[in-house]
Amino acid sequence: MSGVKLSGVMKSFGETTVIPMMDLQFDEGEFVVIVGPSGCGKSTTLRMIAGLEPVSAGQIFIGGNDVTWAPPKERDIAMVFQSYALYPHMDVSGNMSFALRLAGRPRDEVKQRVRLAAEMLELTEYLDRRPRDLSGGQRQRVAMGRAIVRDAYCFLFDEPLSNLDAKLRSTMRTELAILHKRLKRTMIYVTHDQIEAMTMADRIVIMDRGIIQQVGTPRDVYNTPVNRFVAGFIGSPSMNFLKAQLTGSDGLRVRGKGFDIPLNPRLSKAATDHSARDVVIGLRPEHFSVEGAGGTRSSLFAPIDLTVEVAEYIGSSQFLAARIDDQPVTASIEVGPDSAPLESGEYLFDTNRMYLFDRKSGMAIA
Amino acid sequence: MRFLDWKNRLAAVTMGAALAIAGPLMANPYEKYAGTTLVISWPALAHFTAAEELLEEFTEETGIEVEVDALQYLKLRDRQLLEMSKEEGEYDIVSWVVMWKGEYVAKGLLTPLSQFFTNGALVDPEFDIDDIADAYLQNGGIVGGGKGYLPGKSGALYGLPFGAETSILAYRKDIFEEQGLAVPTTYDELAGVMTQLGEAGIPAMTSRGKTGHQVTAGWLLHLAPMGGKIFDDQWNPVINSPEAVKAAEFMRHVVQTGPTGIETFGFGEASAAFLQGDAALYLDTLKIAAMSRNPNLSTVDGNVGFALHPTDVRCGSETGGFAIGIPANSQNQEAAFLLIQYLTNKAGDQRMVELGGDPIRHSTIQNNADLFPEYPVVAEQLPCADPDWRPLIPEWNELNIDVLGQALTKVITTDDPIQPIMDEANEKARAIMEREGYYKWAEYRQGS
Amino acid sequence: MANPSAPPATVSIRPLSPYFFILPAVAIMVAGLVYPVLQAFYLSLFDWKIGTRFEDAPFVGTRHFVRMLTDDNVHESIWVTLRFGFWTITIEMFLGVSLALLLEKPIRGASVFRTIFILPLMISPVVVGLIWRYLFDARIGWINYYLGMVGIEPQVWLGDPELAFFAIVFTDIWQWTPFIFIIVIAGLQALPSEILEASRIDGANWWQHILFVKLPMIRSILLIALLLRLIDVFRALEVMYILTGGGPGRATELLSLHIYNRAFETQQLGYASAISVLLILIVFGLSFAILVAGNPMKEKSDI
Repeated sequence: MSGVKLSGVMKSFGETTVIPMMDLQFDEGEFVVIVGPSGCGKSTTLRMIAGLEPVSAGQIFIGGNDVTWAPPKERDIAMVFQSYALYPHMDVSGNMSFALRLAGRPRDEVKQRVRLAAEMLELTEYLDRRPRDLSGGQRQRVAMGRAIVRDAYCFLFDEPLSNLDAKLRSTMRTELAILHKRLKRTMIYVTHDQIEAMTMADRIVIMDRGIIQQVGTPRDVYNTPVNRFVAGFIGSPSMNFLKAQLTGSDGLRVRGKGFDIPLNPRLSKAATDHSARDVVIGLRPEHFSVEGAGGTRSSLFAPIDLTVEVAEYIGSSQFLAARIDDQPVTASIEVGPDSAPLESGEYLFDTNRMYLFDRKSGMAIA
Repeated sequence: MRFLDWKNRLAAVTMGAALAIAGPLMANPYEKYAGTTLVISWPALAHFTAAEELLEEFTEETGIEVEVDALQYLKLRDRQLLEMSKEEGEYDIVSWVVMWKGEYVAKGLLTPLSQFFTNGALVDPEFDIDDIADAYLQNGGIVGGGKGYLPGKSGALYGLPFGAETSILAYRKDIFEEQGLAVPTTYDELAGVMTQLGEAGIPAMTSRGKTGHQVTAGWLLHLAPMGGKIFDDQWNPVINSPEAVKAAEFMRHVVQTGPTGIETFGFGEASAAFLQGDAALYLDTLKIAAMSRNPNLSTVDGNVGFALHPTDVRCGSETGGFAIGIPANSQNQEAAFLLIQYLTNKAGDQRMVELGGDPIRHSTIQNNADLFPEYPVVAEQLPCADPDWRPLIPEWNELNIDVLGQALTKVITTDDPIQPIMDEANEKARAIMEREGYYKWAEYRQGS
Repeated sequence: MANPSAPPATVSIRPLSPYFFILPAVAIMVAGLVYPVLQAFYLSLFDWKIGTRFEDAPFVGTRHFVRMLTDDNVHESIWVTLRFGFWTITIEMFLGVSLALLLEKPIRGASVFRTIFILPLMISPVVVGLIWRYLFDARIGWINYYLGMVGIEPQVWLGDPELAFFAIVFTDIWQWTPFIFIIVIAGLQALPSEILEASRIDGANWWQHILFVKLPMIRSILLIALLLRLIDVFRALEVMYILTGGGPGRATELLSLHIYNRAFETQQLGYASAISVLLILIVFGLSFAILVAGNPMKEKSDI
């Protein structure tokens, strides 16, 4: 038993290649989130694992078995769909027990497992209702219950929370995380929402245009994105990118329209090894600050002039839509709930938190 | 002959026109009605299509316009009933299947022709009604006499036959020659021929056999020669009589030795089977003769011989087809009579033969005996034609379709004994007659 | 409007306003549907013959209905209709659903085949009757011709009670299976793909997939198809009229054809109207039973 493995997997629909080549390993018991913009091939990847979509080349292993050409039911998987995909003509317990009944399990066992899953998901009182009589969140739980009852080796989730409202979504995220802790099963979860990825995943797989950009823990992908795409995709609000030139020889600086910032020693060293002078710097909105409130004027904090256009009050912080010279940037600044709306002027940026990318390749310079 | 006729007529027309201009000195029986438009309702059948040319000649000669409303003959009755039951009908002349005359008269829809035949200004002294085949005239035109639909002192003339017909036997000369068979003159001989043909693997006689009025028509053809009737003189049904059962047995024999599918044959299919060479014998309307000469219908032209309808205890061939008369609600009755007279007088009858129609007069048939091979046969057959071949009462429809049509289907599609089938049918027939009040007088007398 | 401080004036009308809006539809229904039915009922109380004035027709009250209840011909005709309905609908549903399931996948050429397959539906019933009448013709029909080639004796298809019944059932199946087919295929194609995938993941094999997921999900469509066919069976007239005319005997005389023959062949308009009232009651009863058994409208939010 060794998790789920994709080896040299390729997928094309007719002339269009969706996934050129993919190698991916999910460890047993791990919660992995595949994230990326729509059309990046994440759902296709999941469907290939499920067996709903045949691979064009390569192999898929689940639990050590080659299931490349096995039908879904022989893969020991359970799946939760975006639309929940409940059987409208069956009640909740019928939906949850369908797989077990098909497998010809004894009636008592079926009953027992449905009861357990229903308790876990607080669905006990709805067992004899039809899906159309349930709310969106309840339907979602039934869909999960249907997967749980299976006690499959691997659980697949295809954007299961995207049809829920924001509040329910965050509740369900927590429930899912708890569920994973309890079940200790391999779970592969596809979403376009990086917050879901960051909050739930043991590891995140970030895809773009059919290619895996980075695989790593939420911390890894946030702190050390390998390229501009990952850096921009992970983090909310997303990172600001500004064109810049590397200047100076010892103790490098990045200079662009309206800013001139010294690099910290780590970046400075990395940039020295880098040949190209044309770069893009990445500044996360949450790493701006004002003096006295999280920021201090020192060599670590570089001053930047922001022309504030809108300052949105969101409690303890304010969200700025601003400009550096003529380039739009966003900033999220903690000033406490009682401060006045922030205005244009000098702000500080933590140079330790700055990212540097090659302008041509988009790869991180680090 | 045709040329001469045309020339004479032209001369007459020219003369007539000249005289009309000259003044009212010379009487022209048509003059008074010139400019009138007569509307005729009749079926879209060969005889009537042929008659359209004669109508044109009529208009040319008399100045009376004629419009024809030709309908498929099964649709004719509904349309005519509808039109004739109005206050003022569209139709001035209607042509009916002889079956319908009783109903039309009972509902008061037709006008009696006697009022015209007594009008010296209208009736042509040379019309010679006795020249018209008696059975045709009785069958198509007379209502109210014996049994209500036969001649008698209480009867009256409501129509003249036009497109009437009787039955003759048509046979395949080539097959008869090849098999060394003699043309049958009696039913016993006919049955023998059918058996022989059947044994030789040749489909013997075609017949109508489809459920409803078709199978009944097939059976009725044999009933009259075998001495059978539908009713006795007191309106008691006798369709379980030995004669009726014998006719049914014969019908079964026809189906067993005839072409495949008689059970589904209507008139068209039965005729087609003979015309396309799938049957050696045909016993039904004389119209088969004209059809057999039509290359569009027939592949057996030249091989068809004609003979009298075979006899059993008596001779009796069918009478049927159409008659022509004047609706009671017509607005142009006198002009209509002139047209009917024109179509059925000796010259008109002769023209019909020339145009491809069927004659109704003995003289016409005799005069044209050399023209077609069936005419001598028809001339000899006509005295045998039986106007009481079937009862022409309103209830006949139900008896025909519902009772006999069902019973005879059972006869020809099963091997069940025939007597019980006919007994049952007889009971049903009696119930219908009872329901319609035919026995009220008898019951009344019994009661008193 | 004039007095904004007293708005409840309009409120009291509100419970009735829905009825006001359906009034035109109801009026048309009454004029077009209810009136003829009532007229038929009225006519059935008289003994009216075509060609006489209706005013002169004798009133016979319920005599026609009494006669109908004891009329073996009517009973036989109902029995023929029920048998006809049972065989045609069963086989049509089975074939139509099976073919829809087979041709549902977008395989190459499926659309061509689908088009060919629904052709019978586009042909006028009169033409269908004629086509099959000639195919089944005992003397010149293709069916006997080809049977003859394999050494089978020519059969009198339309002249034997059992064969004729078979022939009308066969023709009806030929004509109406495509109807079931297109209705079902439309239903199948509207099924959400995720549910079907869910059932594959749940481990359903193909027949479980069809039996436990697909068919239950198009249940309302199947019910509507069934209902329409059932009503059609009681209305079917043209094809049998041309094919057999109800014969031989009454072997293929469906109730509607029986009514036709009563009304126009034997001219018993009043009696025929009485039987058509019975026909309406039977169809109404059956439709009602089906709707009670599973109202297709009730579950429209399922999918």
